[in-house]
Amino acid sequence: MPVAGHVGSDYERLRPEFRVISNPFAPAERLMLVPPIRPDVSLIHAIAATADGTLLLDPMEDDALLAQASRVVVASTERVVGSRDELRLVGDGMILPGIHVTALVEAAGGARPTLVRGVYPADARHLEEYVAAAADDASFKRYLDRYVHG
Amino acid sequence: MACAIAREVRDGETVAVGTLAPIPASGVLLAHFTHAPRATVVILNHPDFWPFRNGSKEFYDYAQRGKFDLFFLSGGQIDRHGNLNLITVGDHARPTVRFPGGAGAAMLYYLPRRVIVFRAEHTPRSFVERVDTVASPGSSPPDVVRPGGPWKVVTPLCTFRFERAQARLVVEALQPGVTRAELQRQTGFALDYDPQAGVARAPSADELALLRTRVREAVARIYPRYAETAFDPSTS
Repeated sequence: MPVAGHVGSDYERLRPEFRVISNPFAPAERLMLVPPIRPDVSLIHAIAATADGTLLLDPMEDDALLAQASRVVVASTERVVGSRDELRLVGDGMILPGIHVTALVEAAGGARPTLVRGVYPADARHLEEYVAAAADDASFKRYLDRYVHG
Repeated sequence: MACAIAREVRDGETVAVGTLAPIPASGVLLAHFTHAPRATVVILNHPDFWPFRNGSKEFYDYAQRGKFDLFFLSGGQIDRHGNLNLITVGDHARPTVRFPGGAGAAMLYYLPRRVIVFRAEHTPRSFVERVDTVASPGSSPPDVVRPGGPWKVVTPLCTFRFERAQARLVVEALQPGVTRAELQRQTGFALDYDPQAGVARAPSADELALLRTRVREAVARIYPRYAETAFDPSTS
């Protein structure tokens, strides 16, 4: 797919899969093409969902784009509601139709320690703890044992 | 820095501030609350200044259409030709420093009409003769579509103007109290000066008062930690 700009940067040297071509619609111009990213699986988290996988998503995030690019989409959600009308009443957001979603998991608090806008804020203290724990393997293992495997 | 940035914002323009940019956000809001009330202000994910409804994709698509008049970028390294490095320092295969990556900076340096580069650290390691890796070149040959590019570089010590014809940075104004000798010691390339180069106007009492009240409150909605500390009289 074409991307604006980029021509003449070191991306040409560092990313051989990026191609620079003559623009077929304006041959005097050079244009960069990049291969699309096609994730095998994406994991996204919804504010709410219906059982058919229709999701209410934060419009500030790129979750809908990620879902439409991926072969398999596993969505978690703060809660499951009965109908699309109820979904709209939950709050502000964009609706992603369930046809894009492979599997749905109800997981309240599933975005912690990051945020779900309108539901809970980011946990800054926990994020600081994570950053400190990620500094070396031993402290990171202790973090995983406590919060993930524990 | 915020006041220097505010003075570059023109009323009626569409001005956007991206990620990790509290200083430009402060400067743009200062301008918006004073001389640029009719500017369209876009601040990434700010509840009051983010019009888009389809993630950052909608923002990038809008930018690719060349719809922004003014945007802001930074660089781990910045060189005299206006090249920005957001990728790696040293040999790319075995880097001594790895920055977060360009994240669209190789498009956002080309399409907005004017780009102001900001850097809170003005030292010989950040302002270098030649960047190790070019994420965003300062200039492009004529067969590259590039309606915009670098306009100014704002640091705590000075403001550079980018001379497009010669693809180089020239010092336009020193911040009050900064000498040419000190600026040269803190810069990793030989400085060129605009013949009219002088001293930047110090922030006025009104500008400082507005920064510490309305601007601080608006910035706190997106950068709460920054707003807690950065507007103290002792630091700003």
